[in-house]
Amino acid sequence: MALTSTTSPQGSSSKEIPSTDTLLADLHVQYIQNLGKSTSDLTYHLTAHLRLNAIYWGYTALRIMGRGDALDRDEMIDFVMRCWDDAEGGFAAHPGHDAHLLSTLSAIQILIMQDALDRIDVERVVKFILSLQAPSGVFMGDKWGEEDTRFLYCAVSALSLLSSLHLLDQERTVQYLIDCKNYDGGFGSVIGAESHAARVFVCVGALAILGRMDVVDEETLGWWLAERQLPNGGLNGRPEKLEDVCYSFWVLSAMAILKKVGWIDEKKLVAFILSAQDPEGGGIADRPGDMPDVFHTLFGVAGEWILCF
Amino acid sequence: MSETKPLYSKRPEWSDVVPVEQYEIVNPVAPIFYSEQYKDATNYFRAITKMGEKSPRVLELTESIIRQNPAHYTAWQYRYETLCATNASLADELKLMDEIAIKHLKTYQVWHHRRLLLTTLRKPKPELEFIKKVLHEDTKNYHTWSYRQWLLAHFGADGASINKDGEEEYDLADLWEGELDFVDSMLNQDVRNNSAWHHRFFVVWGCGIREGEQDRERVFKRELIYVKQNISLAPNNPSAWNYLRGILKSTKTPLSSVSTFVLPYTRPRDPTASRDIVDLENPPPSEGADLPSVQAVEFLADILEEKGSESDINQAVELWKSLATELDTIRRKYWEHRIRDAHLKLKASK
Repeated sequence: MALTSTTSPQGSSSKEIPSTDTLLADLHVQYIQNLGKSTSDLTYHLTAHLRLNAIYWGYTALRIMGRGDALDRDEMIDFVMRCWDDAEGGFAAHPGHDAHLLSTLSAIQILIMQDALDRIDVERVVKFILSLQAPSGVFMGDKWGEEDTRFLYCAVSALSLLSSLHLLDQERTVQYLIDCKNYDGGFGSVIGAESHAARVFVCVGALAILGRMDVVDEETLGWWLAERQLPNGGLNGRPEKLEDVCYSFWVLSAMAILKKVGWIDEKKLVAFILSAQDPEGGGIADRPGDMPDVFHTLFGVAGEWILCF
Repeated sequence: MSETKPLYSKRPEWSDVVPVEQYEIVNPVAPIFYSEQYKDATNYFRAITKMGEKSPRVLELTESIIRQNPAHYTAWQYRYETLCATNASLADELKLMDEIAIKHLKTYQVWHHRRLLLTTLRKPKPELEFIKKVLHEDTKNYHTWSYRQWLLAHFGADGASINKDGEEEYDLADLWEGELDFVDSMLNQDVRNNSAWHHRFFVVWGCGIREGEQDRERVFKRELIYVKQNISLAPNNPSAWNYLRGILKSTKTPLSSVSTFVLPYTRPRDPTASRDIVDLENPPPSEGADLPSVQAVEFLADILEEKGSESDINQAVELWKSLATELDTIRRKYWEHRIRDAHLKLKASK
């Protein structure tokens, strides 16, 4: 593992910079390991509201690369449990913050991957999730009341992981998704909003979990998703927008659910994802030349993984 | 501005509060480099939320945190609760938010806070002006557009302008009046703005039928002319072609009803064609347009597939082949799928 030193420019100048033709897994593992260490960084504190999500992103990327052991299990579980908000009955993104649906899903996902779901009071968590459904069928992220299909997906996914989908008002949930469907076959964040690849993933993902793919116009949506590929191989989230590595996951995972990944040029997309790697410090950026972050690192690695299988 | 103010730990009016430090996974061994100011404010914020205090100084504190980190949703949430608890002026809050929103357009919380304020203030019309101004900064901002759609759906529905006491609080028709002109101005600025096309669909087809729009036949004709004109200006604009598909689908009109219009866009430019005759129903491609248009070729193939005779299908297959091998090679596999699929359907029908 003498490929690089992660921060020192002096260190990297004397070493050979690896080519980005392949996935630089060892470097990405190092990059993720180092993320938790820079707690003196301002960015670290400005992103406290996403801490648990970030751990989920980093850990999932490690698991995909077959390196789940690269982060300490006990420390991770301990941190997750410190995010428990006992007043609300859900998980916050950071110890001392308020419970939120996004972080509650991350906590459940991490605990399942670590085989430690027995640490939580499933009944209370389920109650917290169900309490956030609005009369329209959509979900709120927390008691503050922000609503959108992201939170609906979080609720459906979390309930499914907790084997509690039977407690959900599925008809109302599906009706909201039907109301979010647009003329181009895509879905938006709320009723009336424009189709957007990340929202397409959450809506289609929720419908797939609920066994209601009959709601989706698969041919039109598959075509709309395929249209997201640009001549440079990257994918965008809406027509006439820039490509971004995160759509390798949003678009591809939706296409995988529709079993239509083969409709795009996979080779060109792989090349695009790989070109967004940081060959010195590790990690993947939104597009070539930008700073990497853990969010895009997961979505790059996950996109790559979907394309390989 | 918060930058010039002393730390909360140095202010006498905060001396009664004991700050609460953030819990960390690892105790930082290195000296703390991150902003003292942010750390100081959030330490006091943690103390305040623990005590449950809701007072004017909490508004000042949360504003300082939000300005430093607009994604801090707990600060937003607590701020809103404090505004309500202290009976603060929500109109003043909205004014303050105008400035913060423009600085942080991509932050979810900025927009949710506005929704909460508007739900209570119930003055939607000036918001439309505000959104217009904000879209000037970022013409495709997803949050801004969906906020506009929320505003129109929430306050623009039948009966929405009548309050609990049965009084009309604002003019419903007035709210919608400028919407089509607004979309038009956005599209004039950038005809490829998909958000604006989507919004047009939302206004005309997606959100109820308003006075003056009841004659749907007339509305449909108007929209057809509008979208065709825009396609003629930029024949390779997928958003406009999608809008055309959208209005045909929503009115259950066959695709073939526009074949005369589509045809000239599927071929290389015809140098002998005259542009002197103005045909509103079938405007020709503009001078210098890049032809054939991929979207037009796709469209024509769909028309042929919809017609469905063997010779139609064979023609469609030829078009798909040209897309796969020349015009849209990146989606070669999709076009090959269309060819296979059409052949299978043809076989099955025999």
